[in-house]
This record gives sequence, C-alpha cells and structure tokens, in this order.
Amino acid sequence: MRSLDLDLIHSFTKMPHMTDLPFYKPHGNELELFEHAFLRQLPLLIKGPTGCGKTRFVSYMAEKIGLPLYTVSCHDDLTASDLVGRHLIGDGVTYWNDGPLTRAVREGGICYLDEVVEARKDTTVVLHPLSDDRRILPIERTGEILSAPPEFMLVVSYNPGYQNFLKGMKPSTRQRFVSLRFDFPKPELEQQIVMGETGADTMLAKKLVNLANSLRTLKEHDLEEAASTRLLVYTATLILSGFDPVDACRAALVEPLTDDEETAEALMEIVYASFGK
Amino acid sequence: MEEYVGALWHRLITDVADKRYPSEAVSLEQISKIAGILFRSWGGDSGLAVKSATATRHGAKRSLLQRIAGSNMKTELTWLDGETLNLPAIIDLFPQRDLNRDLYLWLIALAATHSEPALPWIQRNQRATQDVLERFPGLACRYQRLADAVLDMRPRPERLPHGEREQEEAIRAALLNPGSVERLPPARRPPQPVYLWLHPDPPASEPASGKSNDPQDHNAGDNIIKKEKDRRYQAERVDMPDSKDSFMMSFRAESILSWAEYIKVNRPTEEDDPPDDRPAEDLDRLSVAQDGKTAASRLKFDLDLPSAASDDRPLGDGILLPEWHYKKQLLQPAHCRLQPMLARGAEPLPLPAHLSATARRLRSQFAALTPSKVWLRGQFDGSELDLDACVQFSADRMGGLQAREQGLYKSHQYHDRDLACLLLADLSLSTDSYISDHERVIDVIRDTLFLFSEALSATGDRFALYGFSSLRRENIRFHILKEFERKYNDEIRGRIAAIKPGFYTRMGAAIRHASQLLVKQAATQKLLLILTDGKPNDLDQYEGRYGVEDTRVAIHEARQMGLRPFCVTIDEKGSNYLPHLFGISGYVVIRKPAELPRELPLLYAQLTR
Ligand SMILES: Nc1ncnc2c1ncn2[C@@H]1O[C@H](COP(=O)(O)OP(=O)(O)O)[C@@H](O)[C@H]1O
Ligand SMILES: [Mg+2]
Repeated sequence: MRSLDLDLIHSFTKMPHMTDLPFYKPHGNELELFEHAFLRQLPLLIKGPTGCGKTRFVSYMAEKIGLPLYTVSCHDDLTASDLVGRHLIGDGVTYWNDGPLTRAVREGGICYLDEVVEARKDTTVVLHPLSDDRRILPIERTGEILSAPPEFMLVVSYNPGYQNFLKGMKPSTRQRFVSLRFDFPKPELEQQIVMGETGADTMLAKKLVNLANSLRTLKEHDLEEAASTRLLVYTATLILSGFDPVDACRAALVEPLTDDEETAEALMEIVYASFGK
Repeated sequence: MEEYVGALWHRLITDVADKRYPSEAVSLEQISKIAGILFRSWGGDSGLAVKSATATRHGAKRSLLQRIAGSNMKTELTWLDGETLNLPAIIDLFPQRDLNRDLYLWLIALAATHSEPALPWIQRNQRATQDVLERFPGLACRYQRLADAVLDMRPRPERLPHGEREQEEAIRAALLNPGSVERLPPARRPPQPVYLWLHPDPPASEPASGKSNDPQDHNAGDNIIKKEKDRRYQAERVDMPDSKDSFMMSFRAESILSWAEYIKVNRPTEEDDPPDDRPAEDLDRLSVAQDGKTAASRLKFDLDLPSAASDDRPLGDGILLPEWHYKKQLLQPAHCRLQPMLARGAEPLPLPAHLSATARRLRSQFAALTPSKVWLRGQFDGSELDLDACVQFSADRMGGLQAREQGLYKSHQYHDRDLACLLLADLSLSTDSYISDHERVIDVIRDTLFLFSEALSATGDRFALYGFSSLRRENIRFHILKEFERKYNDEIRGRIAAIKPGFYTRMGAAIRHASQLLVKQAATQKLLLILTDGKPNDLDQYEGRYGVEDTRVAIHEARQMGLRPFCVTIDEKGSNYLPHLFGISGYVVIRKPAELPRELPLLYAQLTR
C-alpha cells in the first residue's frame, strides 16, 4: 500500500497532461492522501479557511490523475436537483438533463462540492448513498440507480469557522469522509506560493507574508476572517503591475477584511509599519 | 473669586511650564480601538485590556517655572502588567498632532515586543527599540522623527550638574543609536522621563485578594463613574527591588511614599509647592480605596448569604464544577459548588400589564418563525415540476402564443428550525443599579425574560431560562426559571417576577452548568444566550484577568460541545473584553439598556434565521 506510484494511478486515467499541471505547493502529505483515497474509492473532505488552497489542490489533483473535474459552489438555494439533474422542457417535449454530480458518476471524474455547508441539509442527503461503500446514486425522477465507477471520486470542502455553526455539517455526513485539514501555509511555503503565483521577489513575498501573519493574529478578536493566501496573491499582483504597495495593501488586503473604518485604520497602520509611510 | 483667579493662574502657568500642546493633543480614548488592534497584531497578549495609566512621580529636577506651577512632577509613561496595557491618557508633548499620535503607536509597538524583561531599564528599552525597528522597518522614519523631537525637548547635558550630565548623555546616545549604551551612569536624581521608552518602574498591580476592583461593584453604589476616575492608581504594595541596577534602587526609594505621607509632606525635596488642592488624579498612590470611593460602596464587599429560612429553596447538594486557573494554565477539578435553586413562595402570575401590547406584537411576528412546509408554485427552480404551469405553458405554445418566460417548478419551502436555546441571565448585585429614574438593570432583565419567553413560545423552538449569581467559589447560585421540558405559563412567569439582584458574577461555573443542560437537548442547533451587564467577577481571585480567562475557557468548552454561545450585554465597555471571550461575531452590546427587552427577541430571530 505504501509503495503507491503514479503509474498505478495513471492506469486509471486517460492521458496525463503533466505540462498543464496547475501550480501547487503541497503543505504536507496531502498529495499522497488524495491518491490513496482515490485508489481505495474513499470520499474526501477538505476543511480549512477560505483562500488557503483547497480549490487549487483539487484542480491540481484532477489534472495530475487525469480526471475531469466537476466543481459545484454550494449556496443555500442549491437544491438536490441542481446536483442530480432535472427535466427540462424543450420544443414540446420534456427531457432529462444530468446535473454535475450525475455526470461525474456516469462518466467518471471528480465531483467537488466547494463550501458544502452552505448547501441546505436536505440537499446533501443525496450524497449519503454515494459516500458509503454502496457508491450508488439513485435518481428518483428517472427511476435509475447509477453505480459509481472506480474513476468517480467525491470531494467536499468547507470552512469550519464557528460563525458557520448554524449551518455546520451534520456529524452523520461528516463521518462519511476521509478528512484533511488545511491551514494557512507556513511562512516559507507561503512565500514560495506568492513568488510562484505572481513572480514576486523574495523581499516582497517575505514582507507580505509577515504582514499577513500580523493580521492573522487578529482573527476572531477583531476580524471575522483571517487574511488569506489568495488576498496575498492579489496584493502581490497589484504591486508587480506597478501599483503603489501601500495602496495595493489597502485595496487587496485591508478593505476585503473589514467594513469597520476604525479597524481599517488600524490595519493600515500595520501596513505602514511594514512598508513605511 | 480669589480661588477662581488662583485656578486660572495655575492652569496658565502649568501650560507654559510644561510646554504642552493641548490643541494638538491625541487622547487614548480617540485611538483606543486602534491601540488594541495594533497591540494584538504586533504580538501583544490578546487578554490584556488597554487603559490609561495614572501619572507616576518621576523625581527628576524641575525648572523653576515648573516648580512654581507645581506641575511636571508626574508623567504618564507606558507599562504592562498581568491584566493591562497602560498607556498615557493623553499625549500632547509635541506641537504636531501626528507626532503625538505616532508616539502612541510607537509605545504600543514597544509594549507588544517582549524583549528580555530581565535587563536593566536602559538596556531593555534599547533592545526593544532595536527589535521593533527590525520587525517593522516601516516604523524607522517615524522613530527618527520622534527621537529628534524628544531630543529637542530634553535638557542640554552641558547645563546639568556633574553626574546628571553623564546620565543625560547616555540617554541621548541610547536614543540616537539604540544598542550603543551599556549602562546608565549613577546620579543624584533619576533622569528626565524618556517618553519613547517604557516605564522604568511600573507600579505594582493591585493586591489580588481582599477587595474587588471591578467597576461593577462601584457601579452598584454609584452608577456614574467619570472616565478620568477609571484610571488605575498606583497600588500601595511595594515589592522589594529585584533589579541589581543601583539607579533603579534609588528611583524606587523615592517613590515609596504612601498617599498619606505624600499629602502631609508634599514637598519631597528642596522645592516649595503651592498649597495643594489638586484633584485626586494628581496623586499616584491611593491606599484607602482603589477608586477613591466612599465606605458605603465598599460595605458591599462583605455581603452575607441570607439565612436558610429566608433564602430560595436549594435543590440537591450542589454540583461540583471545575475552574480554569490562567496563571497555572490548568483546570482545577471540583473547584466550585453550584447550587440550583427555586424561588421560595413565588406565586403564579399573569404577564405584567405594561408588557402586554409589546408581547402581542412579538408573538405575531414570531409566529412566522414556526416550522412549516409550503409548496411555492411557479418557481424558476424547484424539486418538482409545477404541472399546472407546465400545462399552461404547453397549451400556450401549441396555441401559437409567444411563450413567456415563466416558472415551471414547485419548490418545497423548508423551515427546519430544529433549535434549542438556553438563556442564562446575570442576576448579580450590579443589576441593582439604576439605568434611569425609575428602572434598575434587574427590571430590564426581568422584562427581557418575559418578552423573550412570550416571543419564543409563539415559535416551536425549545427554550429554557436560568439566572445566576455567586458568592465565592462554594456558592454559585443557579436559579431555575424555566426548564426545557416545562411549558411557559403563569407559574414560570411567577418565577421570573421573583428574580432579584444579589452577589457577584462567577460566570465560568454558571456557563459550564448551563452548557451541560443544553447539550442534553436533542436539537441540532443549540444556542447558549448569555445576558449580562458587566465583566465576570467575584470576591476572591475571580476578578480581572482570572475571571475573564476562566469564562473564556468555559465558552470554548461550550463550543467544543457543539453549542453556540452568544453574549448580549449592556456594559458599554463590553467591547474591551468581549471579543476575547466570545470572538468578534459572538456578542452584541446594547447601547440603550431600556431597549433590551424589545431588542433581544429580534436579535434571536436574526441569529436563528
Ligand atoms: N498550496 C498552494 N499552492 C499554490 N497556490 C496556492 C496554494 N495555496 C493557495 N494558493 C493561492 O491562493 C489562491 C486561493 O486558493 P483557493 O484554492 O482558491 O482557496 P480555497 O479554495 O481554499 O478558498 C489560489 O488561487 C492560489 O493563487
Ligand atoms: Mg475555494
């Protein structure tokens, strides 16, 4: 089981496009875990704050294994039909249209439900028979019962901040998944990510990552969300395109984090302390 | 009249002598929120409150003018103790507002950087300066500006007598080139205060036992505390100097004067001060009462429990609960005894007449929250086809009509309110204070409990009501108002009507017990609402940081259990400590307490939407 290699995985796949691989820096053993889970047909749950690389990781893995990826961003109006499919009315006839989940099951591929707790609980019930060892998807409307092929994998993600409590994941759903916890990358790693994504130099990347970590200590006490890697990438992108660094921090780092003016003023002081004024 | 002229003269001459710039002043109050955020983000302890410090005596030589004015003996410097970041209440040293503000920021950065607290004062501050400049390169030019301005204000070394001159030169060098000065040369007097550094000799923090210093207690006797009075006074306790630095010794020796001595003598050395009737803010050590309050309010410290016969009826022998000791970082098992109790002789009562109109309105609003399932027709999206709409649509098409865009689905509107809520109300003595001419806090809490119950009983949500107060760790009084399984009726209303203020606020234990009751509920969403008017506190060490940290751990435990704690407070200063306890989205401060009864049900609706 340990000596798992890519060849084995690629025997499942169509064509590996190694050159098209998205840029992804692993935090730890997540690549290996994903591959094992895929091979053993286990569903995977990724938890972590927004913008820490969950989506990027999944698209990287899909590309690496060579599977089509069906991504659904969940929200509270999402219905089971949005996942499974529905009848549409065309020219005088009605016809059935597969939803992304059904398509992934029929054709093989990764179905990725992003921010799954945003979906209502009655929506995610359709995942149950798919996420245990039955691996089936019953489609009530058409009377079909689809059996998932080995190339099908269910991946869900969510952000376990307690502000999501009322929407929190049911334990009975959570317990169906192999789980992986993401956090913001360690400083050196995050620097490399910023550099890799934007072409920033070490100095700038280091400054931004330090700044982000100062801001992250304010999570919960003063800010609802921590500054994400995504925001760092945006900030670096603005700076590299020639925008003033302090203004870039305000636009891409400070304002997205708070609506409160005094808090924003304080965050700007933190920016000045790093970038000068 | 003479007095008036005297006061005017005093003010005038103080201004000249001190070279302060009140029109350019920046006050801590103006920047306190920013101060807290900066302190925490730069690495300071998030459990500390930001407060204005009392001025402390610095003991350095004063100019003749200053001597005549009787001012400039005290300076407000910055220091940290176990509970507080103490910052000057006002900075008006510089003629530019920006510089005054920058000085605040600089002091905060310095305080947030823990550099070798064991070093002697002069080394410690140079090290901290170097650390700050290294961590925050952006502060370098501000430091430069501040240092230039401060050097300008300091006495010229060449005009000082031998000894003081060398001292001054050392300080100047240390400011210009942090890290370059090894030690402070000895002198007869301490140097002029260095505004860019932390306090050389932080006052001892209040004695931890005996008296409570929670403003809440004083609140009970005297509802309005002037902001100025809120500053902390340098406590009487004086530790043995632990530093080997001889300068520190002499500095301490000078500041050991107690208040009484200070009042009597009031001319510690060679100078003559004008007769002193300056307000108490000018005195740095108050040994009588920490807030200069009267004996009347302090009598409350010695409350006794009522006799068993007249007290509420205890149920069972009490429940042992743990408590968190933040200094030891451990949970002390079976540290508190919580006693569930029922009001004695509470008669069943109808809803008080003054609430009936509001109650009726709330009930009809809340009826909309009851669980229901409805099919909405003609939706653009839904789980079923809306056959009627489809037939219509097809018929239209076949009849050659231009088909309009039209919703063809039915959707099942879900109200899955699978919810249990426990409301825990603070019934400590502080709720005895008046918020208006005719209403006390407790009256507002009582009305709130009534209206909350009226509103919730109109929904299907399960709810329970409890109240609590405490007198040391062995007497946590947990008043049963309404259990989950009971219907809200006249008997419950009678219990609510019977609540009365008493004792202190040992919040941690009450929260722990409430959590245990709530977690047993089968609902998927469990809301723990805490209703309070101030900080956790009790007679023993449960005050200040200790109480806050225990409460914080209790909240954390509740969250671990899958509960959602949420705090509703009428304490205006709540924003100073509540984020530390509940997180930024875990509490709300109700600014006008009189509105609490109507606000809470609406808040509940919002929280559970
Ligand atoms: N480990 C990583 N390797 C490469 N880029 C990353 C990594 N983590 C985060 N990023 C960057 O951060 C951005 C946000 O990541 P994303 O996967 O969308 O976050 P999430 O899905 O967790 O909200 C990405 O677009 C990418 O630029
Ligand atoms: Mg994402």
